[in-house]
Order: sequence, then structure tokens, then C-alpha cells
Amino acid sequence: MSLLKNLKQLGLAILVAISALTGSALSASADGVLEDILKRGTLKVGMSTFVPWAMRDKQGNLIGFEIDVATKVAEDMGVKVEFVPTAWSGIIPALLAKKFDIIIGGMSITPKRNLTVNFTIPYAHSGQQMAASTKLAEGFKSRDDFNQSSVTIACRRGATPCNAAQKLFPKATVRRFDDDAQAFQEVVNGNAHAMISSAPKPRFWSDAYPGKIFLPFGGENLTKGDEGFALRKGDHDAMNFFSNWIRVNTSNGWIGARHDYWFKDQSAWKDMVAPQ
Amino acid sequence: MDRNTPPPPAPRKRLTVTDYILFAMVAGVIAYAAYRVNDVLVYNWNWTRVLDFLVKEDPESGSVVPNLLLQGLATTLRLAVWATILATVIGIVMGYWRTSANLTLRIISRCYVELIRNIPPVVFIFIFYFFISSQIFPALGVEDIDRDGAFASSTAFAILFGDPALFSNFLAGMVCLALFEAAYITEIVRAGIQSIDRGQWEAARAIGLSPFNVLRDIILPQAVRKILPPLAGQFITLIKDSAIVSLISIQELTFLATEVAATTTKVFETWILVGGMYFVLCYSFAVLFAHLERRAKRARR
Repeated sequence: MSLLKNLKQLGLAILVAISALTGSALSASADGVLEDILKRGTLKVGMSTFVPWAMRDKQGNLIGFEIDVATKVAEDMGVKVEFVPTAWSGIIPALLAKKFDIIIGGMSITPKRNLTVNFTIPYAHSGQQMAASTKLAEGFKSRDDFNQSSVTIACRRGATPCNAAQKLFPKATVRRFDDDAQAFQEVVNGNAHAMISSAPKPRFWSDAYPGKIFLPFGGENLTKGDEGFALRKGDHDAMNFFSNWIRVNTSNGWIGARHDYWFKDQSAWKDMVAPQ
Repeated sequence: MDRNTPPPPAPRKRLTVTDYILFAMVAGVIAYAAYRVNDVLVYNWNWTRVLDFLVKEDPESGSVVPNLLLQGLATTLRLAVWATILATVIGIVMGYWRTSANLTLRIISRCYVELIRNIPPVVFIFIFYFFISSQIFPALGVEDIDRDGAFASSTAFAILFGDPALFSNFLAGMVCLALFEAAYITEIVRAGIQSIDRGQWEAARAIGLSPFNVLRDIILPQAVRKILPPLAGQFITLIKDSAIVSLISIQELTFLATEVAATTTKVFETWILVGGMYFVLCYSFAVLFAHLERRAKRARR
């Protein structure tokens, strides 16, 4: 009898431990994300600063394509929006740990990420672009020029650009940095031949450093990506809602217009971020 | 010491020509390095873009209010103060347990100290934040505090804990930091208690004081005086260590600095400025503690 009781306790302890480790996926499906948001009256959005998806204006407020999208989603749901700025490398664990409801953070859909989180249909189609040092990569024309063991390519770690760098240029040395600005600085300093980042950032940079930085392959994107909202697994109602929100707002042209505003060039919003 | 050795010379109080030459040389090397930076570093320095994130003009009232970096500094300061208080409480309890006669208490406190001291802070903070805080905080109802309630919207709350919307975020960072630093404070407290002669315990017990009274009235007052300097050092370390919680997106100085650096792409200006801010903060505390220590010494005389 006492053995049975002990076993029961042990089983319970293991259950508790497992539910703790999985971030209590059970309770997540018990109450839907949509109901949670409506009950709370706020949509909590996980995001990470990334020009021009999300960035800070002179006042320190968040602005950008992503911010517009998330604000509109919340508006259409009739709730307030709350942004949770999160370090990129920990953004998926933070979603699973319920620090926010959804990631609207320019996250490219990859099968690997999709094993851990659910993605809506894409709301943006980005690409990876390369910015190269005029001095080090002079005369580099084809992709083979960059695929050499003597070439160093910088990128932001834990993100799509590093995977693209490794896949497209397997022979080159890939150096990982915490953010794009550092990766880019390596190129300007002449420590790396090129860096890969989401378009249109490399283009903005080559504008800022004319003569020092150029866009190889005529600025053509190296890869194409699809960005979706990311949600915790197991909630199909929320998936359906957000996917259809994207569908509706793509058809009526709203998403396309906002995308053009932020991505075409910096002229429309440059004054909001920089004093010069 | 050998009797024939002459007494050591009195410490010099005045600087000589050699000292000035040495200082000039060091300054020269630094100046040369600063000058050379522009040769090896192709970089458009732009301090105004980063300095703009210190203060801003409030569009409504027109007055000058803190922008991201100063807000971050305030959060760092709040984190440090609360974590210090919590860590001191945990440290004193655990430190006493380390010297307790009770084996269970000794095992618990020993496990705590060794566990925390022997895993990297980053690992501890990740585990704590994602597995523990996400289980405990919802159960405590921290996530759902009434943000428009009388207390949460009061000025006192804003000064003590900052933005109510970020309260659970702040609390998670604070508890992480406190649990981490308390392990080191535990060891300092243990050393302090053990430095008091065993005879004092026995004498105090012999005249009929309870173990609690012995600790409170006899041992701790003496121990505290001895451990003040290492404790002060640990508090300053805590301020610097608070930068680690930026990894779990606590909105303190380092985290907001990464946001500013990503937005402005002015990496060096941001980090030099933030380094300076940490230095001013930590050095002020070092000066304050040194002052307190001198005063305590004078008071004892």
C-alpha cells in the first residue's frame, strides 16, 4: 500500500516536472489565445528591433512596418497593443513561456522553427541581401568569387542570414555577431569581405557609406523568405484568425502599401529616426 | 625582521618629476591609440544620434524628460537596489544556516551556494527565467496586477518599480539577480560569523541568552563590521552583473542600449556612452561605501 502511494507521488512529481519543462502546453490549449487576448484587453506582441521592421524614433517610441501591422491587428480585434521587445536569440523560448501571445517580428518561416512554433500564412516576403567591402571584394562578380576559404562573411547569429551564408558560401568563413550593426561594422572596418542581412538594410548601408560599400550581384536578393506571425502550437482558432487577417489585408492592399512605405526607401521616415 | 634593517621610508606624499613623465607617457599612448582609431576603423562618428537617446523633449509639456538610455539607467538602479535588499536577506539567512548545528539546514544552504556558484550566470538566468518564473509568476498572479489600480498607477510605484506594464518583467530580472548574488553574500556572511571566536557563543549561551539573541546581539554586530568591505564590493559587482539580465529581455540599460545600437547603427558611440554610465554609477557607489566605512571606523573609536 505504502509502495503504491510512493509510486503515485513519484508519478505526480514527474508529471509536474514535465509540465514545468514543456512550459505547460496543456494549459495553453485549455484556454484559447484569442479568448485570453479579448479577456485581457491587450494583445501582447513579441518583437525585436530590426530596421525597418521595428525601430525607435527620436522619442524612443517604436515605429516600423511590424509596429504598423501589429497595431492594426489589435485595432481590428478591438484591443490595445503591447509590445514586448525581446532579444532575438530568446524570442521563441519567450513565446513558449507565454511572455507574449504572438511574435510579429519579421520571422522567416523555416521548417525547423515550424517544429517548435506555428506560423500563419506569410504577410511579407523578404530576401537576404549582401553588402560587400569595396576594398576587399573589389572585382567580385559571381557567387563563386565569394565562395572561397579566404573570404569572411559576417551575419547576425541565430537568424536566417547565417544559414544563407553557410548554404550559399560553404567554403567561406562565417562570423556571427549579436546584431546586424556589428556584422556590418566588420565589413566597413575591412575585417570581413561581406555581410548578409535582410533586405533592404544592406541597401541603406551602401547609401550611407558610398564608395566603401557596394551591393554585389546588382543588389539582387540571394534568397527569398516568407515571414509569418508565430504562435504557440495547438491553437488552431488563433491560427485561423491571424492567417485570415493577413489574407484580408493583403487583398485590400493595406499590407502592400505599408510595406512600400517602409521598404521602398528611407525618404518617407528618415526624419523620424535621424536628426540629420 | 632583522634588527639592523633600517626602518622603511615614510610613504611619499608628493609627486616628483619622474611621476609626471610617467603620467605624460601613459597619456601619450592613450592619445596615440585614440588618434590611430580613425586609421584602422572606417567609421562615421555621430555622437548626437546616440546622445539624443539620453533625454528628449516631451511633445506634450515641452519639458525635458529621460529618453531610453536614462530610463534604462533608472531600471538598472531599481534592479540593483531591490536585488541588493533581497540578496542580503537571503544571504543572511543562508549564511547563518551554513554555520548552523542543524545538518538539514547546512545541507540546504551548502547545496544552494554550490549549485549557483558552479554554473555560469547566463545558464542559471535562462533556466530560472524560462522554467521557473513562467510557472511561479502566473500562480502568484503577478502577470495580472491591476495596472490602473490605485497603487500601480501611483507615483510611488513608478519610482520604486517603474512602468507597471513591465512589472513582471522587472520582477523576474530582479529575483534572478538576487538569487544569483545571494550565493556570494551567503559565503561572505558565513565567513563573518565564523570569524567571531567560538568562546563568545559559549559565554553568551552560558549567561542564558537564547541562540537567536546570541546571533542578533553578540555575533552579528561584530560580524557585520568585518564583512562590510567585501559586502560593499559584492553590491557593486551586482550592479555590473545586472547587465546579464538583458539576455532575458529585462528592459534595463544594457538591453535598451542594444535597441539604440540596432536602431541607430552607431554601435561604438552607444557602448562607450553606456560604459561611461555604468562607470559613473558604480564609482559613485564605491565612493559612498568608502565614505561610510571611514565613518563607521571613526564612530567605533
